[in-house]
Amino acid sequence: MSMGDLKQHTKPAGAGLGGVVRAVGRTSWPYLLLLPTVALLFAFTLYPLAQGLWMSLFRRGLVVVPQIPESTPVFVGFDNYLQLIGDKDFTVALVRTVVFVVIAVPIQLATALGLALLLAPQSRFNAIIRTIVFFPSMISGLIIGVIWAWLFARNSGLVNYALSLINIPAVPWLEQDQMAQIAVVVAWVWGSAGFNMMILIAGLTAIPRDLYEAAAIDGTSRWRTFTRITLPLLEPSIVVVVVLGVIGAFQVYEIIVSLTTGGPGRATVFLIQNIYETAFKKPNQAGVAAAQSGVLFVILMVLTIVQLRVARRRS
Amino acid sequence: MTPTRSFGRIAATALVLVVFILPPLWLLASALKPQAEIFQWPPTLWPEHFTFENFEKTMSRANFGLYFLNSAIVSVTSACLSVAMSVMAGYALSKFRFKGDTVFFLLIMSALMVPLQIVLIPVFLVLRDLGLLNTLWGLIIAPAATPTGVFLMRQYITGIPDHLIEAARIEGTPEWRILLRIIVPLALPAIGTLLAFNLVWRWNDYLWPFLIVTKQEQWTVQLAIANSIGRFSINWPRLLSMTVLSILPMFVMFVALQKTLMNGLMAGATKE
Repeated sequence: MSMGDLKQHTKPAGAGLGGVVRAVGRTSWPYLLLLPTVALLFAFTLYPLAQGLWMSLFRRGLVVVPQIPESTPVFVGFDNYLQLIGDKDFTVALVRTVVFVVIAVPIQLATALGLALLLAPQSRFNAIIRTIVFFPSMISGLIIGVIWAWLFARNSGLVNYALSLINIPAVPWLEQDQMAQIAVVVAWVWGSAGFNMMILIAGLTAIPRDLYEAAAIDGTSRWRTFTRITLPLLEPSIVVVVVLGVIGAFQVYEIIVSLTTGGPGRATVFLIQNIYETAFKKPNQAGVAAAQSGVLFVILMVLTIVQLRVARRRS
Repeated sequence: MTPTRSFGRIAATALVLVVFILPPLWLLASALKPQAEIFQWPPTLWPEHFTFENFEKTMSRANFGLYFLNSAIVSVTSACLSVAMSVMAGYALSKFRFKGDTVFFLLIMSALMVPLQIVLIPVFLVLRDLGLLNTLWGLIIAPAATPTGVFLMRQYITGIPDHLIEAARIEGTPEWRILLRIIVPLALPAIGTLLAFNLVWRWNDYLWPFLIVTKQEQWTVQLAIANSIGRFSINWPRLLSMTVLSILPMFVMFVALQKTLMNGLMAGATKE
């Protein structure tokens, strides 16, 4: 039954002042219900997005102070965007972020897939292990960074202790550029593995059993069964993991705060940290920072559109 | 299953268990060691001299109780506010037909495309203009509108039969009573789930408090942890015990509600 039918059954609105009030209330009621959500999303998401894109066309300070002439907005068109091409901090952070995405997301997928295949069979024991693997999804990126900073500590960390047991000398994980970058990938994959594993397990359990039974009767090898049945039918879930992973990886920041604080040097400064530092730590560069956000927004929007396309294709 | 295959499985499962259980356990074990043992080499896997001294110091000297309280106040209030708003909006978008309903739905959902990370600067300016900087209210209100919450409530409320609402209207029940007496009780399972998600999200918030709060007496747990990480030196005994304390509420909630949280968080992520 549609809501149009419902309205016809309701009391006529003409019955006195109370009726008028009620009729007005009835039509404005859904708007009133939406008001808080819409108002807050407008104030803290949609308006700031527009404001940010607008800001990216100006040279200005973060906070406009009349006493500092350089902080007052001056329209510069797309200058801020053009300037980004020669901005070493930005281009290095952009390339580093893209490299992070390209390396971390496949590792994340492989890890989640391995875990899913291992732990998908229904048993009490597997259920408990799934729960343990999922637990990092309950804690913040910041905390995951702390946990791994402690594991990677050079002279007291468990990772170097484990290596010492097989006679590998202590690795300065967080003090060397490349080692620190590896550490970030490890911590990031560890933190998100359980969540992605669950997405893939949901996909695995949706694959019809009889396909496997038929393959077993035909004597198909396990590898062939995996590449010809499991992988193709799991594709939609794999795409979800990859797209969510790419979107998340482009925004990697929280885990950095506690794991490396961007160091050593600037070896683990990614896009978000660079935007933040440009806006809050460099004088009168708010427009440039807004342009950097603009670039990231376009990247994320394209990815989201891809995600929606894929979701539509599925249904 | 052949013996070699099941052996491989057992070995792999054991490895998984070690990789996922050891890091948090190592954190807990280290936090329960006296200072000297924390940095001892070779490390002891479980404290030889078990002590709560790090936790006591964290509570007494680092003022962690206050930050914990701030986090609790903010996450509980903000989660309740967010759930109330999501129920209202979800109800409007599922049981009413009105001018612009699709536009409102798309508008709310489009906010999913804009993570806080990319609007940090303008959001900071909005917060300043609204006078919300350095207030707990800012931490409560700013993250309260969640498209995911609206979506989940809309899905659930759609399943509530129309005739219940219709019957109440015929009896002349005011609209607000229909919401409170019919919709809310029937949507209680979804409300509970959403409340749990919101508590997790808000407890783990770092960027919002990072933008909003500079005064130390308003720090949340996450901010206190972030601020105790110096670039050159870290007070590990303090940081480890703070981290354990910050995980504790999430751990308790996870143990109590693991099925809901695991299936629900995933449904939220894949349906968005």
